[in-house]
Amino acid sequence: MRGWKALVAKDWKLIFRNRLLLAILVIYPFLIMGVIGAAFYDVGRPVPIGLVNLDRAGPGEQAWSGAVVPSPRGLERRFRRRAVQVEEYGSGEEAEAALAADRVSALLATGDPGETELWMGADLSRDEIAATILDVQTETEVWREYSTAQEALASFAQGEVNVVFAIREGDYPYIGETIWLEDENYDAASLVLRFGQDVTEIEEYTSESEARDDLKRGRIDAVIVLPRAFVHQLKTLDEIARVQVIIDQSNLVKAEFAETSIRGFLSRVQEGVVENKTQAVVAGLYVLVTGGDFFGTEVVGLEQIRENLESLKQSLQDRPDLQEMVDVGIDLANTVISDIEDAAAYLRGTALPIDLEISSVAGRPLSAKDAVVPSLIALSILWTGVLSGAILMVIEDEEGMRIRLGLTEMGSFALVGSKLILATAVVFVQSAVMLLLAVAVFGVFASNAAAALLVIAAASFSCIGIGLVIAAFARQVAGAVILSVLVSFPLIFMTGAVFPLSQMPAFMQWIARAIPLTYAIEALSGVMLRGESLADVAWQLGVLIAFGVVLLTLGSLLVRRRTD
Amino acid sequence: MISIKDISKEFDGVKALDNVTLSVAKGETFGLIGPNGAGKTTLIRILTGQIAPTHGDILMGGETVYPMDSRYRLRVGLVPQEPAFYGRLDAHENLLLLSRLYGVDAKEAAERIDSLLAMAGLTEHASRQARFYSRGMQQRLSLAMGLVHEPELIYMDEPTSGLDPEARSALWELIIRLAAEGRSIFITTHNMQEADRICNRLAILAEGSLREEGTPAEIKGLLGTDRVELQLLDDRTTELDVLCRRLGLTWKMEGDTVIVTGLELPDKLPEIASGLAGSVRNLHYREVTLEDAFLRFMREAER
Repeated sequence: MRGWKALVAKDWKLIFRNRLLLAILVIYPFLIMGVIGAAFYDVGRPVPIGLVNLDRAGPGEQAWSGAVVPSPRGLERRFRRRAVQVEEYGSGEEAEAALAADRVSALLATGDPGETELWMGADLSRDEIAATILDVQTETEVWREYSTAQEALASFAQGEVNVVFAIREGDYPYIGETIWLEDENYDAASLVLRFGQDVTEIEEYTSESEARDDLKRGRIDAVIVLPRAFVHQLKTLDEIARVQVIIDQSNLVKAEFAETSIRGFLSRVQEGVVENKTQAVVAGLYVLVTGGDFFGTEVVGLEQIRENLESLKQSLQDRPDLQEMVDVGIDLANTVISDIEDAAAYLRGTALPIDLEISSVAGRPLSAKDAVVPSLIALSILWTGVLSGAILMVIEDEEGMRIRLGLTEMGSFALVGSKLILATAVVFVQSAVMLLLAVAVFGVFASNAAAALLVIAAASFSCIGIGLVIAAFARQVAGAVILSVLVSFPLIFMTGAVFPLSQMPAFMQWIARAIPLTYAIEALSGVMLRGESLADVAWQLGVLIAFGVVLLTLGSLLVRRRTD
Repeated sequence: MISIKDISKEFDGVKALDNVTLSVAKGETFGLIGPNGAGKTTLIRILTGQIAPTHGDILMGGETVYPMDSRYRLRVGLVPQEPAFYGRLDAHENLLLLSRLYGVDAKEAAERIDSLLAMAGLTEHASRQARFYSRGMQQRLSLAMGLVHEPELIYMDEPTSGLDPEARSALWELIIRLAAEGRSIFITTHNMQEADRICNRLAILAEGSLREEGTPAEIKGLLGTDRVELQLLDDRTTELDVLCRRLGLTWKMEGDTVIVTGLELPDKLPEIASGLAGSVRNLHYREVTLEDAFLRFMREAER
């Protein structure tokens, strides 16, 4: 036992007195934890989003829209028919100047690629403008709205659209309306600000091009362009509000975060609107039964009609034949009232059939920093385990001491065993300190920290075993370090520490199953984040120990064999 | 002390050692000399259990021993060619570690370490990390480490390789002192001066085979003995004949040079000179060195 203690103490001195080794083995994993931990610490911060709200009427501003229609000439003819007098222009700039000078209230440009552009203007009434917009929108599936004349002209010039329509913003139908949702009244911008406040940080832009520039510079992660009459479209039952979302897919993770956040809060808006509409329809149906204001028309309710019929039936006691006819009406009223009540109940129940109630198996919501700690600890086990296993063994060769130790009373079993003891101690203490720091200082969640410590111990055996196998192929510490990094680096990406295993192809999942770190991450996540007990992760623990035994045996055999 | 019987070793079909048989007596300093690649280190590796022989026996006290057997390992010490110690431990820590691994009692270990440090001239440097030592100090520490368990037989694999003359000489003194204490030493070297100076007996190993074995004088005798080369002014054949017979020497002519050989030649030089007084034009005493013998032997082996 004295010999074992002496060997372990000697190895610790060798590490402690070698600053580089001390830094690589003991300090580096903490640095990595600090760096990655810091990156994930504030992942819950709102996603910066740029908002271009076209559903507002700025004084003197123009509303430019574009579309691809199958027959621009037909549109042009209808525009001419509506107008008393039509002006024609030689260019878009000239037409824009006419609109700016209030000489006309609407502009229309048509022209397919290769054809001559035709710019015309006319003084149309609001109804005529609405009718023209409706003409275009019913013919097209591509409807674009621009925040500036320049954007519209550029889009038209590039052939993205074959029709451009421009009016004064104040003339745009239903622009700047408000909607009553969750006991408050919102216009388009305030609706987005209110419902997106938990997950986004909204910055408003006056033009889409300005917002796109900031997206390219990385100042914001996405741009939302709210179309004109956005709120009106939300309120009506027959139109779909087309919201344009621009994301930067050069960074897929950022794009995914932004898209998920935007989809999340817009679906809340949508749910609110659908619920409002459903309530309105249900209320309208009840009005049909009880009587009152039915979407702006005063109606007599079915109940009143039934009462009237019953009174009429009373008054016709001497005319049973007529009473029978009245009974038919009463029965019809009863049936319709019953059907309306059923329909209303059905609508209430089916308008929003799914109500997601999301909860975590951990028993509390987990943040990104909670989720990243098991992987970080597993990575530090891999790093320190592999390196210490390899380095501590190769040191004996580098110092020429393997032969000398072979002549002492301590056999190769003691040599490998003493390395295992020290390396396990280093890995265990290091990981335990990380776990403690994460929980006590950074408030990371760990439902079963004691079980996590056991998993750490089991995982360290197999990682040290990998180190011993590496040691058989290196003669010097520098070589062992390089080999360890070469082996560890791909393992990190093949074990689910970075990408979820379930998202990998089947063959990669098979490879991952042959790597002990995979089981370490699963078991650590289980006991720390999923509230699992040791019994629940017994399989992973067993596999880790089996890997440890196999790798340690293989490593020892290889190290002994190399001497010959 | 130890006998090696018919030891052979093959690496991938290539014979590194071919039926090597030799023995080292108790208290003897045995030198195995040979050129690089002769198989000296391979034999040391077999004797210290680092590799197994392809066939052959090692006997200690007449009984077959296996180098991995602890009864054998604890009786032998090793001084490898490259100094072997932990550079980031100091000399005391290195020696203490090994004494613990050999199971030496703590009190005895303390005394032994002090005496080994003194013997190696490292007492003043005992608490300095060994990586800062000079090469000579490192090899002396390496030697001390091979002695911490007081082995009866010490294997030294070219221990002075790479040392400067002063450090080499200091190490030779140490080895001679160890031999004087009665330890058996098995040393491999290709330094003939070293072999001549410290070994009682030598063997020449070439291409894995043991070629010659004997005392340094016997090995040198393979080339011939020391000789005196004389050039005379006139013909003194009769006087020379009488003189040599009286002194127990022999003479012959090689061209115009008289070659005189025989035992204790250096002591007889004054009598030769005075016996031929007035006729000697030149007189050279030529000593045969082990290196001469070795080189000649190697040349003959090549032929």
